[in-house]
Amino acid sequence: MSMLELRNVSKRYGQGANEVDAISDIDLSVERGSLVAIMGPSGSGKSTLLTIAGSLEEPTTGDVMIDGARLSGMSRNDKARLRRRSVGYVFQDFNLLAGLTAVENVSLPLELDGVSMKKARAKGMDALEGLGLADRAESFPDQLSGGERQRVAIARAVVGERSLLLADEPSGALDSVNGEAVMRMILTACHGGVAAVVVTHDAKLASWADRVVFLRDGKAVDETLPPPSPEELLNPDVANPS
Amino acid sequence: MDDFRIRSDRRPSDGGIPARRAVTRWAWRLFRREWRQQFLILALITVAVAATVLGSTVAVNNPPPKNAGFGTAHYSVSFASYGKKAQNFIAHLEHLGTEQVIENETYSIPGSIHTYQLRSQDPHGPFGGPMLSVVSGHFPSNASEVAVTNGVASAFHLSVGKSWQVGGVEREVVGIVENPQSLLDEFALVEPDQVPNATQVTALFDVSGASLRSISKGVQINSPASVANSNPLNPETISLAALVLGMLLIALVSIGGFTVLAQRRMRSIGMLESIGATDHHVRLVVSANGTVVGVVGAILGFIVGFAGWLAYRPSFEQSAHHVIGVFALPWTVVFVAMVLAVLAAYFAASRPARAVTKVPIVHALSGRPAPPRQIHRSAIPGIVILVGAFLLLGYSGGTGGGNGSGGAPELILGLVLLMPGLILLAPFLLSLTQRVGRRAPIATRLALRDLARYRARSGSALAAISIGVLISVIVVLAVASRGNVLDYAGPNLASNQLALHTGFPPRGQIIVHRNAKGQLVRVRHHKTETATPTQLAASAEQIAKGLDAQLIPLESPNAGLNGTEGGRNWSGQIYVATPQLLRAFGIKESEINPNADVLSMRPGLSGFSGLVFNYGTNSKQAGGPSAPGGNSGPSCSPANGCLAHPVIQDISALPGGTSAPNTVITEHAMKEFHITAVTSDWLVVGSQTFTAAQISSAQLTASTQQLQVESRNDIPSTSTVTNWATLFGIIIALGVLAMSVGLVRSETSSDLRTLAATGASSYTRRTLTAVTAGALGFLGALLGVVGGYVAMIGWLRSNSLNGGISALGNVPFGDIVLILFGMPALAAVVGWLFASREPAVLGRQPIE
Repeated sequence: MSMLELRNVSKRYGQGANEVDAISDIDLSVERGSLVAIMGPSGSGKSTLLTIAGSLEEPTTGDVMIDGARLSGMSRNDKARLRRRSVGYVFQDFNLLAGLTAVENVSLPLELDGVSMKKARAKGMDALEGLGLADRAESFPDQLSGGERQRVAIARAVVGERSLLLADEPSGALDSVNGEAVMRMILTACHGGVAAVVVTHDAKLASWADRVVFLRDGKAVDETLPPPSPEELLNPDVANPS
Repeated sequence: MDDFRIRSDRRPSDGGIPARRAVTRWAWRLFRREWRQQFLILALITVAVAATVLGSTVAVNNPPPKNAGFGTAHYSVSFASYGKKAQNFIAHLEHLGTEQVIENETYSIPGSIHTYQLRSQDPHGPFGGPMLSVVSGHFPSNASEVAVTNGVASAFHLSVGKSWQVGGVEREVVGIVENPQSLLDEFALVEPDQVPNATQVTALFDVSGASLRSISKGVQINSPASVANSNPLNPETISLAALVLGMLLIALVSIGGFTVLAQRRMRSIGMLESIGATDHHVRLVVSANGTVVGVVGAILGFIVGFAGWLAYRPSFEQSAHHVIGVFALPWTVVFVAMVLAVLAAYFAASRPARAVTKVPIVHALSGRPAPPRQIHRSAIPGIVILVGAFLLLGYSGGTGGGNGSGGAPELILGLVLLMPGLILLAPFLLSLTQRVGRRAPIATRLALRDLARYRARSGSALAAISIGVLISVIVVLAVASRGNVLDYAGPNLASNQLALHTGFPPRGQIIVHRNAKGQLVRVRHHKTETATPTQLAASAEQIAKGLDAQLIPLESPNAGLNGTEGGRNWSGQIYVATPQLLRAFGIKESEINPNADVLSMRPGLSGFSGLVFNYGTNSKQAGGPSAPGGNSGPSCSPANGCLAHPVIQDISALPGGTSAPNTVITEHAMKEFHITAVTSDWLVVGSQTFTAAQISSAQLTASTQQLQVESRNDIPSTSTVTNWATLFGIIIALGVLAMSVGLVRSETSSDLRTLAATGASSYTRRTLTAVTAGALGFLGALLGVVGGYVAMIGWLRSNSLNGGISALGNVPFGDIVLILFGMPALAAVVGWLFASREPAVLGRQPIE
């Protein structure tokens, strides 16, 4: 089953003469453990697609399903719970809360979900250790470098039992070395079973993905398909069920 | 992982306590990081709570303690002497239970108008303990010992160990004592039964209810509760009322502050929502911040107020004249103040907290506030509430047959309703101003438009200003409408004036005489022998000479003024405009209209048509009205010695005190109506303010020579009250403006950056701030003044005691103009001066 599924998703802003289609009839399916890159020029609708996929914004039409749960009809609180438990977000400008230390930032989604401070902190420390940041756990965001902040953001996105990672230009504010390190971490998360969608301008980083979707003027204009699995090669019906 | 997943299903959907704790922790961290941004709100709450703690403590402790004069007893009875009635009563008490008798004899202190008591009291008696304490030495233990208060020791140059003859007995001073419940109580303490001629005998006692009824016949039994219950408007009630009003103002101002704070944190809130925070969590961040500010402000306020109390207590004890405990705070008021501070901050933060959850997450993440919605606020709800307040106040003013005595609930409800009325009208007025200013120059237009667009800030600030102005305007109007040319009130004299009246010391008081050898001797005053006018004049001359001051004889005619209007009668002494009196106040003969009958400094008296001049035989010697209601109308004619329309000339140079010759009859009228006069009083006018010692000296001289000295009292004049009220309103309005203009402008800081980037000069920036401050100030003043007039017209329209709506004719126009135009102009000028700085970051939003 797909971790993330978008069916005929469109988003329209403005009204009347000011109406603009940010994305139109987008279909996208992301399996567990796979990494999908979204590419396209500025204004093509990449970020809108990601915010809709992450339940931060409602589509005008179409359906979004995360881990089989349809977002339309969900209450704001249910969506918030879904984000706490299933969806991790990584932003270009990190979006760490300034008043909290690195480990508190990482453990915050767990605490918001009712995990006790002690247990959440332990989980947060595990996540930071996994990303080599255990020694910076008590530092505040403004005491961290850009690369370290993004690693903390990734730790926050994967902490707990998250299964969908959405990253919007995660390396946009980093140099190439740190950018590659971030992509490697996302790939590592995917190898652990997390489905990931990464918006990027960088073709080199996009090449790390299993699949790349190209957007132009809000429409998916091209897509590099993942290589067929041995099972699909043997049984074409599996690959094309329709 | 599986274990973690299973347990996650059991967790509450909103995160429960751990989530709330995490969010509150973050709010606390934000408060610590950004306390400077919240300093104004914090300072407001701190000052309000501190002022309440200190003010209510002073107000509550200013009167004597409830048990003053009772010690630990529940009842007391006093007798003028230890006569048969007192002896029988005390004997009866001895049968019923425990009692303690305190005897006093009054003595004058030589060279002073003050007295002291020779007091016999058992220091270890069953009830009088709290009324005695030793400052140094010890209590007297036998008949040859005495302990005195500091005042007595100072007056007689006594100290412990010295010998002193008192009550006809030579005694050794063994201690300095005081009455902690009344530091004004000056006495010499001796053993029980050592006062031979007691002038006051007090019995303190406790008895059951049945016994109390059996002994209460023919005696006045007092209890602390009966004294305390006589005043429903006690200091605690007044403190609480002022506190509630103050906190309402703070809450209104704080709404703007918390809204801007929430806007500043919009990105952080977006981040929080993106990682799964619910609306409840987001609201909690803002409202927890408000609560934290309230709690910190309340605690700081208490600490500051309590520290202020500790510092002020020693001098306050001296002025309150009784010992006050360190922790004698009105704890109920303090507790309510602290709780109200927290609630005010919480509710002020609640509205922005709700608003912030409505911002889409994507907007919040971008740090851009959602564009303000176009809300068409109707004026109708505000007008309806104001009309309701108007009707209620009218009903209240008309109760008690038109004297307003029976409508307290309607009066309070009407006044309270004015506030929501103004709050609801504020946003409408902002929209209206925007429409009015749409053809103004760009900076003015933009400032007015921003005020209307960002009503969350400007609306609450405007409401706070208008409520501050409303309070001040109501005080100005109420006091001014009470001011009347017929019975105007205020201070009696100037500080460099004394009035001397004929009078005698009370019978039985021991007075001091200087004998033929010049020695001071004490005698008990029994009988009054009337002094001759010549002797009185000589005594007055002696007092004036002692003060190195001018003496003006005041002649009282056998004529008087009379008049009634709106339930107000003429009151006040009138004198004759003798050449000496006129000269003393620099009034030349040439200034006086030869046809004038009366000269007066009372503003507007010359235009008052209802005044009559009684010069007939039934006129009182002192010049007061011959009968309430006056002899106006057809009954006033020369046949019965009455002049219906005397010629009155305004002479502002005459003195203004109520006891001073503010209204005088001209010599022309004296001759024409054959009026005679006698010198009854004297006015002593010094070149400088008289000191307390000079007044005491004059009183001492006067007390021995059948004269009474009247000096300036503490009653403020009408103009003093209205001027202070005006100042209060202006300070409140400017304070709110100082706190809110920055908030209003900060919301449009991006516009300011754009303006600066497109080349707008400092003139534009200054104009924006000046217009914002000036417009808010003017609209607040306008609303407050309108609200004040609605209240007063509503109340006066059916109130005959105060002369109805016409009483508003006495309102000082200058005060209203100052509030309405002076305050906004000052706000605009200050805004202009402080708004020259260019935005620090032009190209991007400042990083949090």
